Amino acid sequence: MKAYINNYELLCDAGDTKSLMEAIYANKSAISISEDFIKDAKAGLGIMQYDNIYSLLIDVTSKVLKQSNLDNFHNTLLILASSVGGMQECEDIFYAQGSYTNIDPNRYSMNALSDHLDNEFKFYDSRAISTACTSSANALLLAKRLIEVEAYDNILVVGADGLCNSTVLGFHSLGVLSNKQCTPFDKNRNGMNVAEAVSVLLVQNQKISNSIQIKGVGASSDAYHMTNPDPSATGAISSMQNAIDDAKLNIDDIDYINAHGTATIANDNVESLAVEKLFGSKTLVNSTKAITGHTLGAAGSVEAIISCEIIKAGVVPAQTGLQELENTNINVPTQNITMDIKNIISNSFAFGGNNTSIVLGVCE
Amino acid sequence: MKKIAINIVSSAKIFAPTKIEDLDEKRLCPTMMTRRRLTRNSKVMLYLSDRCNFEGGKVVYGSCYSELEETAKIANSVLNGELLSPTSFQNSVYNTAPSYLSLITKNKDELITLSSGMTTSKAALKTAALQALISKQRVLCVCIECINIPNINQINRCTKYLEAGAAVVVEVAQDLSDAVEIEDFRTEGIIDSLQDIMSVVNMHENKKDKILIEL
Repeated sequence: MKAYINNYELLCDAGDTKSLMEAIYANKSAISISEDFIKDAKAGLGIMQYDNIYSLLIDVTSKVLKQSNLDNFHNTLLILASSVGGMQECEDIFYAQGSYTNIDPNRYSMNALSDHLDNEFKFYDSRAISTACTSSANALLLAKRLIEVEAYDNILVVGADGLCNSTVLGFHSLGVLSNKQCTPFDKNRNGMNVAEAVSVLLVQNQKISNSIQIKGVGASSDAYHMTNPDPSATGAISSMQNAIDDAKLNIDDIDYINAHGTATIANDNVESLAVEKLFGSKTLVNSTKAITGHTLGAAGSVEAIISCEIIKAGVVPAQTGLQELENTNINVPTQNITMDIKNIISNSFAFGGNNTSIVLGVCE
Repeated sequence: MKKIAINIVSSAKIFAPTKIEDLDEKRLCPTMMTRRRLTRNSKVMLYLSDRCNFEGGKVVYGSCYSELEETAKIANSVLNGELLSPTSFQNSVYNTAPSYLSLITKNKDELITLSSGMTTSKAALKTAALQALISKQRVLCVCIECINIPNINQINRCTKYLEAGAAVVVEVAQDLSDAVEIEDFRTEGIIDSLQDIMSVVNMHENKKDKILIEL
């Protein structure tokens, strides 16, 4: 069986899917500069407008159910992906009380979010994945494989991460946070923007009129360093090649690469090299994190939705924020390009050298 | 909804009320600088992988609370207005333990980490079965909880073993014949998130090594 993305919705700093795509094509970053998290320092952050992560999950998931051909999710597997799970609420309690006593252990981890959705929608089964910034890309990888082996007809993939002190201050401790709107692949980039999002995709084994097919998935491990990518780029190349092989496509069949593109020095250097080695200088590549920021565990699913929209629109967006391209051997667009887009590869890379790539395309 | 049968090729388990002693760290991680950075979950992961004679390939890891010690260090640093340790932050992500295993054993294959509350090890076993089915290779499935942090008594109401882990190497069986469902073969006192894989390890130790898994 083949896997199709049939419905989706999200909320991120730029708003819902429609607002996000308008921002992407207008090259308008939604990153705001905040002084709330780091003492005596500014940080560019992607901040959503919402009350709490739990009600937002229900809201976005309800919209996807309403769009879909399903009456309910009783025959659907939920795969939730997150890097912080219920951390926001637990942090608030701990900082207010200085004690763990009133923290509910069931609302601390990733299952806090999946259990909340399960209680509301009564899924057939649910599981939660947490591989840091590849979490929701890996959820899509597993969804594609589960459909392929005919284990499920319907799988709901949810990527969800809210901003937490621990993540913002943690990335600050690594010295990789930008104090302005990030500029992926730019020679003068100075780091990433931590961000938050909830993104929901319904993956099914039946094609509908506007389906986008998950054609291939691939993953690899660098086995090099806990935070720095392998400078030879072998892990990133292997991940992309595995996804293209799984899709039974050739390198030339990929029209556009939605890069991980965090705008850290290390990531963009290595990812540029991987793209250069694997694709040469012809295939278009950019990073939409210039608009959304890095939504961590939700990034893979956010960028899968963006990739679906780009295929449907037939327009590759310009790289927002780019002034001077560092690696001139890759093809980063400086203006929106209208073209026939059949296949996109979307990359997600994470701590521990965890790499995942997803090939999305028009249905075969 | 599909069931397949998996063979349990090898298994291991370990647990202790407070701290597991002698995880053979010097042999399993000879590089001192790396060894000093290993989290407790990572050390238990290396030990269990070695006990299972795993020689590389896809790894599925499950943990409900994962790197609780590092997360607690970060939370306390924030509370006290101290600078965060970069090492604590990089070691706080849920896939830290399999990442160290990958780094130390030079395993470049796929790593998936699940964290599904008290059904974590069941979800990990399902995912390991899927990965074995897709790859037609043996897959290591490891589930660990190390929650021995200062003041854990403020919140621990569920386990008398603050460090515990279990692992199996699985492969897809040729057919479903003689395969059995996972029995309730619990190890009393172990946190529920590990009980499914503990049951499978206990079944394997009792010569029941062909298990039915619903993907």
